[in-house]
Amino acid sequence: MRILIVEDEPTLQAQLAEALAAAGYVADRADNGVDAHFLGDSEPYDAVILDLGLPRMDGITVLRKWRATGRTMPVLILTARDGWHEKVAGIDAGADDYLTKPFHMEELLARLRALIRRAGGHASAELACGPLLLDTRNSRATVDGQALSLTSHEYRVLSYLMHHPGEVISRSDLVEHIYAQDFDRDSNTVEVFIARLRKKLPPDMIETVRGLGYRLAVPGGKE
Amino acid sequence: MSPWRTSLRSRLVVGTLCWVIATVAIAGWALGRLFREHVAAQFHAELRTHLDQLTANIALDANGRPLLTLPLSDPRLSRPYSGCYWQVDGFGQGEGLKGQLRSRSLWDHVLSVPQDKPADGEIHQHRIAGPDGQMLGMVERTIHIDDAADGKSRSFRLIAAADETQMTEPVERFHGVLWLSLGVLVAGLALAVLMQVVVGLAPLGKLRRGLERIGKGEAQRIEGDYPAEIAPLVDEFNSVLEQNAAVVERARTQAGNLAHALKTPLSILANSTGGLDDPLARTVREQVAGARRQIDYHLARAQAAANRLPGTRTALAPVIDGLMRAMHRLHAEQALDLAVQPMADAPCFHGDVQDLQEMLGNLLENACKWARHRVEVNAGVANGVLWITIDDDGKGLPAAQRSAVLQRGVRADEQVPGSGLGLAIVSDLAQLYGGSVSLEDSPLGGLRARLTLPAAP
Repeated sequence: MRILIVEDEPTLQAQLAEALAAAGYVADRADNGVDAHFLGDSEPYDAVILDLGLPRMDGITVLRKWRATGRTMPVLILTARDGWHEKVAGIDAGADDYLTKPFHMEELLARLRALIRRAGGHASAELACGPLLLDTRNSRATVDGQALSLTSHEYRVLSYLMHHPGEVISRSDLVEHIYAQDFDRDSNTVEVFIARLRKKLPPDMIETVRGLGYRLAVPGGKE
Repeated sequence: MSPWRTSLRSRLVVGTLCWVIATVAIAGWALGRLFREHVAAQFHAELRTHLDQLTANIALDANGRPLLTLPLSDPRLSRPYSGCYWQVDGFGQGEGLKGQLRSRSLWDHVLSVPQDKPADGEIHQHRIAGPDGQMLGMVERTIHIDDAADGKSRSFRLIAAADETQMTEPVERFHGVLWLSLGVLVAGLALAVLMQVVVGLAPLGKLRRGLERIGKGEAQRIEGDYPAEIAPLVDEFNSVLEQNAAVVERARTQAGNLAHALKTPLSILANSTGGLDDPLARTVREQVAGARRQIDYHLARAQAAANRLPGTRTALAPVIDGLMRAMHRLHAEQALDLAVQPMADAPCFHGDVQDLQEMLGNLLENACKWARHRVEVNAGVANGVLWITIDDDGKGLPAAQRSAVLQRGVRADEQVPGSGLGLAIVSDLAQLYGGSVSLEDSPLGGLRARLTLPAAP
């Protein structure tokens, strides 16, 4: 899961990035509205944490421009502005949630999980696929109750597949969502992660669709 | 102050009318007097003409008695009791001396004249009783005629008289016409004064209506063109209103900036304790939470206190719609059924839109936080009061705690703003507007918040 953090206060930005990394997300950062708009417009983020008071272009304008060009990723506004008129303006501009500073990091993470989950059409914080269970609240995966030991990259790949069960995910899609923008990407590493995951998961859970990508098999599920 | 002094209109009307009536009365009196003098002068001039004719035509007969050599020309002197008379008296005692010679108009009446003997060349005027008892104006002179028979000079008193009504009647007629005309003139001037006052003061009425519109919240400034005399006042008033609005906006912006400036460092402070559980981390977390409550509480009060501009009017429906959209998103997890019952007559709040959003937002947030499935909003206007109820089907709040939740913010210096801050802010804001918020049992099973506020007319 790849998140965009838009926050102009460097210390808070670093804290957010740290907390997101600890929770198993990959995070890109922007500290002004123009960069934020460019990144959100060109990269496939799974969610955005957006401050409103930004240099160069304010957060509401950034959000409106994204929505106007059909960018539908969930956006959580994180701001010190707590008036209800500001909340209504934020929601009307297309935000999916609104959190005011100062905030508890746990609450931010919980809301972010909920946003990503709802964006994928999931109702519960626990994603299930056959014997495989992913608890997004504590980033743990279990198979028949047995905890899986996963590296952070393996977790990200599995998490992305679990959020999109039954869909064919291309290798480049996976790369986009498990690496930060400035990371030196190598799509061959995805094959390595898939191979490792297959060893840890029950057989045939991850299918290879030739020429297209991978698919998480839904037992007895729709095709 | 007496009533006529408090109204500009009655001051002008009364002041001008006093002056008009005084001026017209003086003019009328002067004109009447002039005319009366003129008529009196004519009257006496005619009497003198008669007297002169009499003087010219009188002579003595053989017995030394006066005799008229030629009849006087004025026919009225020959018509009985015509009102014009003459008479010749001799001087001395004896019945025969009075009325020795009389005009035919006197018939057999002899004018009774006061004792007098004008010196030569003098003419005396008297008023005497006439044949019908009417008053006559009279002139007289003394003449001496040499008697051809004995060579003695005899003196006679020549009298010409006329009925005074010949003088007073035209004067009375003139007075009647004069005062009628002057009355019409006064009435006309009074009408002109009234029209002038009404037309002249019309811009003031317009100004008053403009101010009323602002008072009712239908306008933000005084619109329209005004005459040069009051235009500066209107411009000044408008600029005061604009400045006031600008000051409020600046205060809000500054309060918002201050909040932003403080809250981001507070976020960093709180987050830097991470999940640590040492005393320092706990202290930092507690203090950050306390600071946040203080900021929220005082920011809300500062912004609300600055918002009390005259002439603000906020339609309720769009505010509720906006908040409902926000609630749907913010409480998407709960999948609540949020219902707004239809409102009659598009109710409007007599106050600021942001204050209304703040009050309703906090109440709705509270309802959504506790609701199980449903939140319902009702609103209407009764007797100039806007009422809004927000119901939820949550677990409700024990009656004993309800007032505490609302009153927590009453005196910030005595009571620390606490967990029920949202409702306390609503209560404070409502009170600033002279409204109230109360908590009751809801028919849905949970809590009902009832907010009353001044409605815009």
